[in-house]
Amino acid sequence: MLKITNLHAKVGQRVILKGLNLEVNAGEVHAIMGPNGSGKSTLSYILAGRPGYTVTEGKAEYQGKDLLTMDPEIRAREGIFLAFQYPVEIPGVSNKYFLKAAYNSLRKHRDEPEMDAGAFLKFIKEKAKSVEMDPAFLSRSVNEGFSGGEKKRNEVLQLAVLEPKLALLDETDSGLDIDALKVVAAGVNRMRDGKRAFIVVTHYQRLLDYIVPDFVHVLSGGRIIKSGGKELALELEKKGYGWIEEKVAA
Amino acid sequence: MIAQALAAQRKGWRFTPITALTNPDFKPAGLPERIEPLAGRVLCPVGFHRAALVNGRWEARHAMLKLPAGVSVEPLSAASGVGEYLDRPTPSDLPLAKAASAARDGIVVRVSRHVRVDRPIHLVHVSGASSLAASSQTRVLVMLEPGASAELVEETLSFGNAPSWKNVRAQVVLGEGSFLRHHRIVREGLQGRLTLALEVALASRARYESHALNFGGLFAREDLRVRIEGEGAECVLNGLALLGGCEFADHHTVVEHIAVGGTTRQLYKAVIDDKARFVFDGLISVKPGAQKTDAQVYNRNLLLSEEARVNTNPEFKILADDVSCKHGGAVGQLSLEALFYLRSRGIGADEARRLLVYAFGSEMVDRIALEPLKLALADALHGRMPEEHL
Repeated sequence: MLKITNLHAKVGQRVILKGLNLEVNAGEVHAIMGPNGSGKSTLSYILAGRPGYTVTEGKAEYQGKDLLTMDPEIRAREGIFLAFQYPVEIPGVSNKYFLKAAYNSLRKHRDEPEMDAGAFLKFIKEKAKSVEMDPAFLSRSVNEGFSGGEKKRNEVLQLAVLEPKLALLDETDSGLDIDALKVVAAGVNRMRDGKRAFIVVTHYQRLLDYIVPDFVHVLSGGRIIKSGGKELALELEKKGYGWIEEKVAA
Repeated sequence: MIAQALAAQRKGWRFTPITALTNPDFKPAGLPERIEPLAGRVLCPVGFHRAALVNGRWEARHAMLKLPAGVSVEPLSAASGVGEYLDRPTPSDLPLAKAASAARDGIVVRVSRHVRVDRPIHLVHVSGASSLAASSQTRVLVMLEPGASAELVEETLSFGNAPSWKNVRAQVVLGEGSFLRHHRIVREGLQGRLTLALEVALASRARYESHALNFGGLFAREDLRVRIEGEGAECVLNGLALLGGCEFADHHTVVEHIAVGGTTRQLYKAVIDDKARFVFDGLISVKPGAQKTDAQVYNRNLLLSEEARVNTNPEFKILADDVSCKHGGAVGQLSLEALFYLRSRGIGADEARRLLVYAFGSEMVDRIALEPLKLALADALHGRMPEEHL
């Protein structure tokens, strides 16, 4: 589904990714862990198409197509979804209008008829229930005045509505208490259907207790320096990142 | 002559391109060549009480007035007992108001004590189609007796493509405990110019709610002077300007708090695209003794192009010591973060941009309580969203 080969990228003059390789197949859940500043968020943003990043070398193929030349909205319509670490507040745009505009742009892309307002409202109310979100949030401006946990829940709601093929979760656990974390993880787990792929970017092992990955990768210095199964996350939790980095340096 | 008078008023006019008023050479408008229907041109539904001035003259053929007892809407030439108001001197720094004072015609609206007008009153200011650059002078007088209430919508528009200029002097007198909602919608063509001097006086516990909406026009200058003369009066001033092309809009507002316990809430917003320009100068002046005044003045602007310009100056002059006053001005561009967030959900770049601009402007439309007008303005707002730029 996704094949990243020798990816180098920079922001301004700062080189952040230095030869990253990663392959994700349908149905797989990959966790990307690493110390702060290792390039985890950069990777998420580059895959989602955020302006401001320059890819200097390497490539990323998504479903056999060159991902890096696509506009962000095309990536989304083709099935890529980024759950933001810091979801953006958009005063004046109601959550339900936003969700409807997004949902219908995806349907239009697939040559499907747009869903009318009444049917859509029913549809998102069900989805909101599934992530234990008070439907009052649907009428509020997108993320405006939401708590950290509510914002993350809203990201998972969007994930549930847009049903992507490849979901990138960027530090979705940050700022969540344990109850919110469980709700968010349950929302993600419900989306696991053997076909949908996930890349879960996280600093801590904790999230991976709830979203159990098939593969764990350690990102450090702009490259993946170690890959393994879910047990690698536990090892990292115990020993930290230092031992791998030393090993690689040696 | 007008150019000289304006040039002498440098202080309040230094950001205002007055050449729009001196070039071409405007001649007083005559009778309109024909009377054109207003249907399809005005935003307000026919269910409102309607009166219209064409080229500054009362046009009986447009009037749709079935007024309840205690309410009158009549041409200035027919109104009696208003001399006291009409003869009031104009503020010395508003030379255009002085020119309009000589107007032969206009509209007088009066609501008697404790009468609530059943339906909104719709006043339409029209420039008729013409082959010449024509100007008109108009007066508007709105008087609410104690306890009366009314909703008023003034729309300004032009027929034809010739340069037109409407110069209006308006006075609003609000008696004790009265309430006026006053909407002013400028929907001029590419050659339409409007200058308006509006003086509002509030007696105790009177409420004045104003919505100034610029939805098109080459040049619009509004001088709004509000005097809080009675204790506990409230004034809400909302504004929204949507400007593109070479349009210019200028709002100079002065709210004087003379009495104790007055409230002012002012927020003007502008969306400025292409080579358009917007000027906001909002002064709240708290006089000695106007204790417990609670006033806020804000102006927020959204610039959509490199060449768009704004001059903003929210200001206070406070000569009382027990007051709460806040002010602020902001000039910004569309948030790149928000644009990316919308696009990352599949919403195209142009649609995302329009969505964000609409969201910025719709706050002011949402503040309009008059439902049919709110809906019409929401549509008009959609119609004036920026074209595809990215």
